[in-house]
Amino acid sequence: MIRKTLRATRDLFLKPSVSIGLGILVTGGFIAGAVSWQGFNTAMEQTNKEEFCLSCHTMRDNMLPELQKTVHWSNRSGVRAECQDCHVPHEFTDKIARKMQASREVWGQIVGTIGTREKFEEHRIVLARREWARMEANDSRECRNCHDYGDMDINLMRPTSQVAMRAAAERDESCISCHKGIAHHLPDLKGSHNPAFDTLVSAASSTRVQADGAYYAVLPHKIYADPGLTQEIGSLEVAAKVRMLESNADAQRVELDLWRKNKGFGRVWYSNFGLNITSAILSKEVSRDETLVSVLDTREDPATGLEWQNVKAEVWMPTDSLIDSPEEIWEIARASYNQQCSTCHRQPEEAHFGANSWPAQFGGMVGFTSMDDDTAKMVLKYLQKHSSDFIETAHGGDPTKGVIQSARP
Amino acid sequence: MTLPRRDFLKAMAAVSGAALVGGPGLLTARSAQAQSTSVEMTDDITTWKVSGSHFGAIRAKVVGDRVVEVKPFEFDKHPTEMIEGIPGLIYGPSRIRYPMVRLDWYKNRHKSDTSQRGDNRFVRVGWDEAIDLFYEELERVQKDYGPWALHTAGVGWRSVGQMHSCGNHMVRAVGMHGRSVGTIGDYSTGAGQVILPYILGSTEVYSQGTSWEVILEESKLVVFWANDPIKNLQVGWNTETHEAYAYYAQLKDKIASGEIRAICVDPVRSKTLNYLEAEHQYINPMTDVALMLAMAHVLVSEDLYDKEFIETYALGFDRFLPYLQGETEDMVEKTPEWAEAICGVPADQIRELARLMAANRTQLVFGWAVQRQQHGEQPYWMGAILATLLGQIGLPGGGISYSHHYSSVGVSSSGAAMPGSFPLNLDPGRFPKHDNDNFQGYSNVIPISRAIDALVEPGKEIDFNGHKVRLPPYRMGIFTGHNQWHRHQDRNRMKKAYRRLETVVAIDYNWTATCRFADIVLPACTPFERNDIDAYGSYSNRGILAMHKLIDPMYNSKPDFEIFSALCRRFNREAEYTRGMNEMQWIEFLYNECAVTNVRNEMPMPPFDEFWQKGFHLFPEGKPWVRHASFRDDPEVNALGTPSGFIEIFSRKIESFGYDDCKGHPIWMEKAERSHGGPGSDRFPLWLQSVHPNKRLHSQLCESEPLRATYAIQGREPIYMSPEDAAARGIEHGDLVRAFNDRGQLIAGAHVSDNFPPGIVRIEEGAWYGPTGPEIGALDTYGDPNTLTLDIGTSSLAQAPSANTCIVEMEKFLGEAPPVTSFGGPQEVDPDGNPIETDA
Repeated sequence: MIRKTLRATRDLFLKPSVSIGLGILVTGGFIAGAVSWQGFNTAMEQTNKEEFCLSCHTMRDNMLPELQKTVHWSNRSGVRAECQDCHVPHEFTDKIARKMQASREVWGQIVGTIGTREKFEEHRIVLARREWARMEANDSRECRNCHDYGDMDINLMRPTSQVAMRAAAERDESCISCHKGIAHHLPDLKGSHNPAFDTLVSAASSTRVQADGAYYAVLPHKIYADPGLTQEIGSLEVAAKVRMLESNADAQRVELDLWRKNKGFGRVWYSNFGLNITSAILSKEVSRDETLVSVLDTREDPATGLEWQNVKAEVWMPTDSLIDSPEEIWEIARASYNQQCSTCHRQPEEAHFGANSWPAQFGGMVGFTSMDDDTAKMVLKYLQKHSSDFIETAHGGDPTKGVIQSARP
Repeated sequence: MTLPRRDFLKAMAAVSGAALVGGPGLLTARSAQAQSTSVEMTDDITTWKVSGSHFGAIRAKVVGDRVVEVKPFEFDKHPTEMIEGIPGLIYGPSRIRYPMVRLDWYKNRHKSDTSQRGDNRFVRVGWDEAIDLFYEELERVQKDYGPWALHTAGVGWRSVGQMHSCGNHMVRAVGMHGRSVGTIGDYSTGAGQVILPYILGSTEVYSQGTSWEVILEESKLVVFWANDPIKNLQVGWNTETHEAYAYYAQLKDKIASGEIRAICVDPVRSKTLNYLEAEHQYINPMTDVALMLAMAHVLVSEDLYDKEFIETYALGFDRFLPYLQGETEDMVEKTPEWAEAICGVPADQIRELARLMAANRTQLVFGWAVQRQQHGEQPYWMGAILATLLGQIGLPGGGISYSHHYSSVGVSSSGAAMPGSFPLNLDPGRFPKHDNDNFQGYSNVIPISRAIDALVEPGKEIDFNGHKVRLPPYRMGIFTGHNQWHRHQDRNRMKKAYRRLETVVAIDYNWTATCRFADIVLPACTPFERNDIDAYGSYSNRGILAMHKLIDPMYNSKPDFEIFSALCRRFNREAEYTRGMNEMQWIEFLYNECAVTNVRNEMPMPPFDEFWQKGFHLFPEGKPWVRHASFRDDPEVNALGTPSGFIEIFSRKIESFGYDDCKGHPIWMEKAERSHGGPGSDRFPLWLQSVHPNKRLHSQLCESEPLRATYAIQGREPIYMSPEDAAARGIEHGDLVRAFNDRGQLIAGAHVSDNFPPGIVRIEEGAWYGPTGPEIGALDTYGDPNTLTLDIGTSSLAQAPSANTCIVEMEKFLGEAPPVTSFGGPQEVDPDGNPIETDA
């Protein structure tokens, strides 16, 4: 039935008229225009109502039951968020833009892309990402019609929420950055990374880099020899520090100023002399290439007898990959560490061990946590960077401060 | 093991609701699921309730409010006899029935006569009074002294269950009130976990090891060094799957067919040796380092060692070699002849052993016993050097392991995430009521086995792992779910030390010796009297297990969660402590958090309700894996966690500490006392080994009467001995024996066995201490080996327990033996000290 109507509509628009005079067409067009303006307004109004959204069974069968279980539908105050409150912008131009976008979803419903529960679930990630991106871009404006940082009494929140909300309020963070999946189920995220990384990626995309500034990699990133990012020469680890040289639309040239052990290929580069805090890994082909790598200093590490070199290199990497302070990275790492490493015992204080002891301690126990590889690397780097080599404890650098109880009597 | 898509979607639907917000808002009350009594229990065990334990997963038949039968979970193909002890654990006479307070403490509070500790006379109090007393003591100690005066003793083998993990409850609740002195390390692997990070770059002792499939396929020689996995794999840190036993059965077959040789280096013929029918390499107790040095000498002098491997993967061989060749330290060349005189292994046999290892793909598998002795760091370090000289580290079926006897290590991991736990920490941004971190110059962390030193030698400064620790003279201790009066060494020294303690709080479900020596004793319920969730398989991550509450908490016992909720209520922080969630809400929360992670791992889990109803969810087999293979593959990128990133034969870091009992490389050092011609052996000629028990988990299940009846001799713990030592003392199998040294005395039952060579006796640790009275030197009536053991640190490096450095003498016990006092709880008295006959 719908397909028939559509075909008739298409014919009406695309087949040239053979029997009606031009004047009639023009006059008729004018009248139709006037009528349709009224109709447009009505249509805008009608399609903004919850009844319209729920008239299609995809919404009714998938979204409604999910929404009904949440506080946005049912709560003690009797205030209910309807579909349009969150999903339709309140400003005219934004609204039109959203409508154009939404036509794809209606189309999907009609042609059956999302017509069944299974198909809808398969497609949910696409729909969700699109909606998250929209809300991220407009700073969660629809949420803020009801929720306002300024009006929140953070002290009334649960203790765990207080910390997160205070920090978010200070940065005026977009609501959707954290509160995904609160009104509908989350899409299938299999194979995806730690969702906490999303906030880092968004922080990186809003960081404006300046030449000569110091920046930190938000995630592990590949590095290249050329601005076209075609010749890969290694990778930069999370929180690795770089100095900005130049930046264009797609790529930026950065300087690495790091240390390495002068043994083997010398391809693992560390942040500090004598400390095994990995910052970059170069490929075997280039790690000894003097046109890329310059050696500035050479020293023996008394703790191991190994020779260490201060090395420099200029490399290319993609844009939107750096932030100007590692603090946000440490915040995520700290939360993972405190939670995951206290499941079986008290987690030791960061400064309980030195930077070169943490890899052994952490590596010996990380198998008991559910950290993915990227998270584990980030947490290890956090621990090393906050180890007794960097942090003075309350007892004048006494690294026995802090507790571990792996506890098998 | 793939789920149909529909199930997968249902799993997603279940997890996504709670995904990013969590908390009670999205969790509906689940009281309905907390009991599934409506389900009919038939003879088909799959209709029975599911629960977990360190000894394995179980099915329990419950009729009325009583557990009538316990059977192994159907997935467990190698269950242990220990689960037959579970009814005895629940219904035994040693259950703590009511909150109790020690008589003189009840009358005089913290000014009590502490020399009466151990007389086992207690006054029954109500819960409100008990929690008030607990709270008032916390207040007093924080106000009058400060955090240095409170010791929150290390937790131990708490009962399984991630929600009710008792140490987490105690540390969180007490931590919300104020700070305290904590501990580092543990009694099982204290030396190993400190030395190995310097040598192999990981603690190793709790690390996953090479998969058994690989060992069975590639190894030609498997050496079990002081290791008894067949005995020790019966228990696991989380609910144990016993999967490793299937591989030992295959190993047994391959030994029988001659495909693999297996040698047990051990003073005694172990359960493992007898099961596998492996070859026995006898060695004198505590002399492993001498034997290994001589083997290294053979590898070097006969040019059998892997120079290329050392060049690429190791540092410091040049600084170790001169010691081996007799050019440093004692200036003695470490020849097989030199070692023979110490370790009792003929020189030619030493040569043969070294050549055999070099000629074959050799997997070394160390147990933990050799590091539970004085200088326990040395044999582990020397073992690593031996493996380095052989050059097989990182090869399939080669190299060294320190963990294959533990929790089914060697069964590859499914890769699934396991559920988290009730939080141990304060929530972010929260601080204790008494926010005081002034420890008055004392260390707030002490090596766990130096906890008694802190009372005996208050304020003493000791070396520890490159740092100084100043021992705090704490005044109050809190012990939950662990038994210090089993695990610590030298009871009579402990008795003396405990006289300095003003207040001791013990929380447990059975009346252990730690309760006997406490002042306030609170009855927790057993894990079978509450709902919980557990990981199934500590290393295989085989699945997630529901722990259905089998029966209501017995007597006046409560879950730890309720006990500490009540404590937090005393200072108005209960809601913060519980986060407003009840038991089932927490369990569902932990399940859903885990499900979210596993969806990312492509390991979908069913909705919580479905899981809870079914009782378990299993994950597919993992892939075989080789320890240290990635390091061998690329030692730069996959560097070890040592200071250099390479294997450190010589450690400059340890050398820089300047300890004379742990230098820059392994050294043979004589022990404070040693049998077989060593110091003190003229007076006390027998080495006492206190191994992990065969039918207990440490001291757990000792109280289970039906289980104890299967091994006790005349109601006492067995002391195993050789026919020669028995005959020489006129002792016959089944006699009572008095074992003694200058530190103490105990009664045990003689078990004479050919498995034991002359000069060696064994009493399994975990036997419950039952002194005749509170006085120092009192006879232990049941046979706790730690009545006799030596309480010194392994060295300045690890300061770990040295339980296996212990020599004794024994004689036939003549006359009438005093009754066993270890079991059956306290003597209940009224506040005037008059005994009250209890109904039980």
